[in-house]
Formats: sequence, structure tokens, C-alpha cells
Amino acid sequence: MNNDLLKQQIIEALNLEDLTPADIRDDEPLFGEGLGLDSIDALELFVLLDKQYGIKLQNKEEGKQVFRSVNTMAAYIEEHRTK
Amino acid sequence: MNYIIADHIISPLAAGSENNLDAVLSGQSALRSYTDRFPMVDPFCASLFDNADFETLCIEAVKGTNTDACLLSSKDTLFVLSTTKGNVAFLSQTEDIALIDSACRIAQTFGNTNTPVVVSNACISGVCALITAQRILEAGVYKHIVVVGCDVLSTFIVSGFQSFKALSPDPCTPFDASRQGLNLGEAAACVIMTSDETYAPVSYGSILAGAIHNDANHISGPSRTGEGSFLCLRDVMGQEDTLAFVNVHGTATLYNDEMEAIALNRAGLQNIPINALKGYYGHTLGAAGLLETILSLHALRRGVIIGTKGYSVQGTTQAVAVSSEVRRTDKKECIKLLSGFGGCNAAIRLTTESALQPSAQPTPAYCTIADIVITPEKVILNGQSVPSSAHGGALLSELYRTHVGDWPKFFKMDTLSRLGFVASEILLGSLSEERFVPRQDRAIVLANRSSCLQNDREYQRTIMPDNYYPSPALFVYTLPNIVTGEIAIRNKYYGETSFYVLDNPAQLEQLIALAFQQAGTKSVLTGWIECPDENTFDAHLKIVEKIQ
Repeated sequence: MNNDLLKQQIIEALNLEDLTPADIRDDEPLFGEGLGLDSIDALELFVLLDKQYGIKLQNKEEGKQVFRSVNTMAAYIEEHRTK
Repeated sequence: MNYIIADHIISPLAAGSENNLDAVLSGQSALRSYTDRFPMVDPFCASLFDNADFETLCIEAVKGTNTDACLLSSKDTLFVLSTTKGNVAFLSQTEDIALIDSACRIAQTFGNTNTPVVVSNACISGVCALITAQRILEAGVYKHIVVVGCDVLSTFIVSGFQSFKALSPDPCTPFDASRQGLNLGEAAACVIMTSDETYAPVSYGSILAGAIHNDANHISGPSRTGEGSFLCLRDVMGQEDTLAFVNVHGTATLYNDEMEAIALNRAGLQNIPINALKGYYGHTLGAAGLLETILSLHALRRGVIIGTKGYSVQGTTQAVAVSSEVRRTDKKECIKLLSGFGGCNAAIRLTTESALQPSAQPTPAYCTIADIVITPEKVILNGQSVPSSAHGGALLSELYRTHVGDWPKFFKMDTLSRLGFVASEILLGSLSEERFVPRQDRAIVLANRSSCLQNDREYQRTIMPDNYYPSPALFVYTLPNIVTGEIAIRNKYYGETSFYVLDNPAQLEQLIALAFQQAGTKSVLTGWIECPDENTFDAHLKIVEKIQ
């Protein structure tokens, strides 16, 4: 799993204008302070996983675990991707 | 003075308000599981008609009131339509889905040629439509108002709520510890109101007070402090000892019900019985405020409080007096409370007695203190041209970078919200007042003709058969009032936020004065904000203030 590709996909999916992959650290929390993401962004990450990797997360609780950081997302994708 | 003189409900449970009340009192629910009702969507639980056509349902709801044809067609009668998405189900086939055109066809069916008003304020539309009707009657603009509310479901709406992970797979359980989310529902409901005292003998209720407030917190998440709902309750609650119950929104999402429990406690209403009707009908969107108001009023007349189907164990951190079963009451007043996307909240207090109201206040005079025009070619602030190098769709981003720059959520907004946001920023920046000071005395009242068609189109592209990935970030902007919420959040404005879909800007001028009828409103950020596509837009915004 290429973390820079994933970061670019996050930036595009969430319209994080003016950010580049270099601005997002691999182990930085995606939610909370950091990038200023909110609950709608979290839901949009569900769509990203489904659309790009064929992964359907079942509920918000599962999302909270997967979306802790780019590293946790990348690891989850590596293990569960269907495309 | 306003008199409620007729009403009608059409729901999957029954036709007729009294028949619906009978069904609800006997514990019936229209909620069912559906697996292949709409293309592509996952299985869901909802309350649906076998066949539903939006305009037909609206027309049947009006007919069902058995109102005199002369009143319906009178030049003194205005039609007010409450809906979130109207005919959006047809968007995949045609773009001829304007809400105002639907409203005109509905009014014309009854020979009424006055240009109607559409209230499209997300889930609080029904109560806002009743407040709008009350204000119009108080101001004497029209004598009679036909308020009709309806929404029908489709892949468009169900997919959006599924993308929000807001739906419960089972019949919803408002305020209960086990609640998992909401169910959607279809219904149409109509209320006929008049200021004509000759109707007093046939009147069975009236609106005593109404209020609309924004949370100024988030465009989709309920406030953790229940701010807007609390302010609405505070404004309308009156004497506690005459209050039979509060009919709450009670969608059965974790956060909505928690928010309402907090708001009720803050208002000191934790011991007043509350009930929620979503366990019978689901969330009927633009019809909800009307359907639930009508049932509450009919229940009061029978001396009962409807039970909250699905409730058994307290599921909110703060206790409230949820009425789980039908119980008796001899009190004559109730409150209807709603909240919705865009951070909006609304409440009305109703009585079954049609007297003892203060006389109408004269409509206050107001003056414009600042104005702005933004089109793809020009920006004019208070009569002066504002320099810009960009044109078309790029203009809004340039204006944001030049005049704002510290609100990255701008780039997540749809074009309508971007337009309203930058226009309001430049406009408010031109005033000699301190920015970002929390205030409740400035309302935001915007209007246009095309609602949010441009973003509807964008969302539709995410639910195509060969590309079905419904986007929650786009879905939330398929409500035109979100722009008012964005401005309220930025500025910490806790006053009224309203969005009307009208035929022309002149109609809005009539409505601006009405906003001052809300107690405490001294200033209104208002205007016409049109955006049929991302390169064609037109904002004429202004700030008007009451002349003391």
C-alpha cells in the first residue's frame, strides 16, 4: 500500500484544498485537531474505501478504528481490499 | 389572530386526520422492511405508500380538508408548500423539477393564482411553514393560508440517508436506550389557517407562538448543548402549568434524541410529558411538522397524549418524561419541536382554544445598512466595485482567498453555499461592528428559484447504476438551507435561519419584514441567491435593520 497515493485520495475525496500528501503525517490522527476533519469527512472516507478498494465498513465504530491515521487505514486496506 | 379551521393527513396508515389518530392510538405502525423498492439502495425499513406521486399527494391532502372552493381560489388566500425535495425522484430523467413550479401547479389546481411560497428548511420545514403562515396572517398580507407539506421517497433520498449511516434496520425506537437510527416515511398533510374572525366558531386551534433558531454548530450534527432547540423552547414555552406535552422531533438517532433531552432540561421542561411519533410513520421530512402538529392538536382535543411507540428504557444522559403509553390530559396547550440539517430548529406552541391572544403587532419598518451583488462578472459592495481578476466559477475561490482565507471548510461547500458564504463575509466585513460575537438578534433569510439544483445534479452523479457510491458530503448540500447554516456557524448567529424557494425576488421583499415578528430579531441578513450551475450565479444580499 502506497501511503502517498492514499493521502492523495484522501485530499481529493475530502476537498482538502491547499494540502499536499507531504502535509499529512503517516501516524498523525486524522480526526481531532490535525486536519480539522469532521463527521461528514469520516462518512466520506467510508465511500473512498468502497469506491477505490471495494471495502464496505459496516458501522461508524469500525470506521473510528480504521481511520485513526494514514498508517491504520493503509494496513486495513492491505488486508481487506477486494480491488 | 390565527385560526386553524381544517386539516387532513394522508399516510400509509390511513386517510384523514381522525383516522390517523385512531390508528396511532391503537398502536399501529406503517413501518415495514423493504428490499427492492428503489433501485440500488440497500434494504431499509420505512413507511411507504404503494404508489406515491408528490404533487398528487399534495393536491389530495388539500382536497381532504373539504375546504370551501371559494376560499381556496380566493385572491386573499396564499398556498405555502413545505417540502425538502419535492419531485427530485425525476431528476434522472428531467431537470424540470423546480419546487416553485410544483407549488404553482398545486395552487392552480384549486384556481388560486397567487404565487405560492415554498419553505425548504430541511426537516423543520413543516413547522417553519406554519410559522410563516402565522406571520403572514398577523401582518395582514393574506387572510387565509393553505399550508401543505409532503415528501416522497426515492433512491435519491434513501441513498443519502444510508450514506449518512443514519437509518435503523428495524422500526425506530425514539429516546430508547436501544435506538439505532431513524426510519424514513412518506406522508402528505394540510392545515388551513385564517385570520378571518367569522371562522372562529369552526376553529379548533391556533398557534400561540413560534420560534426558529440555529445551533451555529455543524451542518449535519445536532448540537451537544441543544442550543437552537433550547432557544426555541425558551421563546415559545409560556406557562408550564397549561402545557399538556411537548411533541419532540425524536428521530431515534443517537445524537438527535440526546440533544433534545438536553434542550428540554435546559428549558426546565424535563417533567412535562414528551412524545415522538416516528415509531408510527418514520421521519416524513417536509410533511413531518404538519403531520405531527395535526395529530398533536387532535389528540389534545380528545384529551389524550399519544404514546411513544418503541420507547421503554431511558436512552439519554438527561432524564425526560417520555410518554410511552397513551395517557389522559385535560390541558389545552402543546409544543411541537423540530430540528434539522443546517443546524436549524423550530418550535410552535398550540392551543385548542381560539382566543386569548395578543393583538397583531404592526409590521416594523426597516432599512438597508449594507448590500452586495456578486455575479460571474462583477462584485459590487455598497455601490462600489470590488476589484477581482477572476471570472465565472473561479471568482468565488478568488474572493475567498482575498477576503476570507481562514475557513478551509469553504472548499467543501457546494457552489450555492460558497456564493452565500463569500457574499456574507464581504458584506459583514464592510460593517463597523465586531465580528464573531455570538448573537441571537440577527436572522439569516435567503431565497432563490432553483433551490440547490446544481448540487442535486452533482449528487445524482454519485447514484448512477454504473457508479453507485452515494456521497454524504454532496447529499448534505442537497438542502438549500445549508447555506444559511454555514453563515450562522461562521458568525455564531443563533437567530432564525430560513430558506424560501420563490418565483422571483420581489416575493422575498414581502417576507423580509415578517422575520422581525420573531421576538428579539433586530437585524436580518437576507437576499436572493441563485446558482443554477457552477458558472452561473447571482447573489443580491443585504443587511436590513429594524428602525426603532
